[in-house]
Amino acid sequence: MDPLDFTARTGWTAKPQGLCQGDVCVPAPGAIKADGTLDATVISERLRMPLVHDEAHGLWALGPASGGKALTTAVAPDPVLRDRNGDSFSLSSLRGRRTIMVAWASW
Amino acid sequence: MWQTLHAELEPVGFTVVTVALDIDPANATPWIDAAAPTHPSLIDTGHITNDLFGFVNVPMSVWIDEDGMIVRPAELALLEPRVRRELSPGMPERIVNMMAEVNKLPDVSVSYRAMIDDWVAKGSLSEFILSPGEVIDRSRPYPMEHARAAACFELGQHLWRSVGHEAAVPWWREAHRLNPDNWTYKRQAWTLVTTPEGADAPDLLQGPNDVYEGNWLDDVLAAGGGEEYYG
Repeated sequence: MDPLDFTARTGWTAKPQGLCQGDVCVPAPGAIKADGTLDATVISERLRMPLVHDEAHGLWALGPASGGKALTTAVAPDPVLRDRNGDSFSLSSLRGRRTIMVAWASW
Repeated sequence: MWQTLHAELEPVGFTVVTVALDIDPANATPWIDAAAPTHPSLIDTGHITNDLFGFVNVPMSVWIDEDGMIVRPAELALLEPRVRRELSPGMPERIVNMMAEVNKLPDVSVSYRAMIDDWVAKGSLSEFILSPGEVIDRSRPYPMEHARAAACFELGQHLWRSVGHEAAVPWWREAHRLNPDNWTYKRQAWTLVTTPEGADAPDLLQGPNDVYEGNWLDDVLAAGGGEEYYG
């Protein structure tokens, strides 16, 4: 698993001291493999992130950390999302301003 | 509505960011174009902000301060009062029952706007600004079943794009079973099967269908009625 993808999608970052989000770090020996990629099985166990497998299509999905609250830190995640033109936008670009982030849908 | 708020508050250091939870961007773009937003207007085709911020329905918001800290977790966000809908006589019973539940949906527009005004006036001293601990405590419980539902929904949306809706259905059904309180999983899937081919807009009635076990009215009633729609 790519470390940057992991951070972008989960808000957690793999560091030498463990898996960290905000000021929380969970020890996770073996999470970072020799080639710099991440071991999804180790991360799944340490953060209680479910690994779901679609055998027919050879796909795996790693769910979010579980067992506590929806938010494990008040540090805002920094997902990169795209606008209607396909241009990417990072929430962290708004540092220094107060932000009201609103979810809506067409459905 | 959100554009109006952004235009009003942008000069005093606020930014409104809207995020459309739409697996198909083509469904969100007409609404975005009509609003002509000058604020960031994003499309979350993977519903990843559900997991990252705790959204389970729309419209919901989070507040983030100047330092990138969440100061209010996901909650119902309304700027304008809900319009009570009256039906003309002779409408089908199911529509009548659905509108009855719609008319029970909570209306927090007055208090929500008052909270924003207080934040504008008092900044971090506003009584509505929460500490990091309070933000975490007020966010929803997140058991393993909900995390597994998120993984199932993600598998489904990947298969919807790469293979087709039929391949996504088992995973989305499982996501609905594991986390019935997440309306974004359910409404996103329902509308894909109840919207007629070639329709101008997604179907919002989301009635009974042969693909998914639930539908809007029966699931709202099972959850306790319109009053409980946002948990």
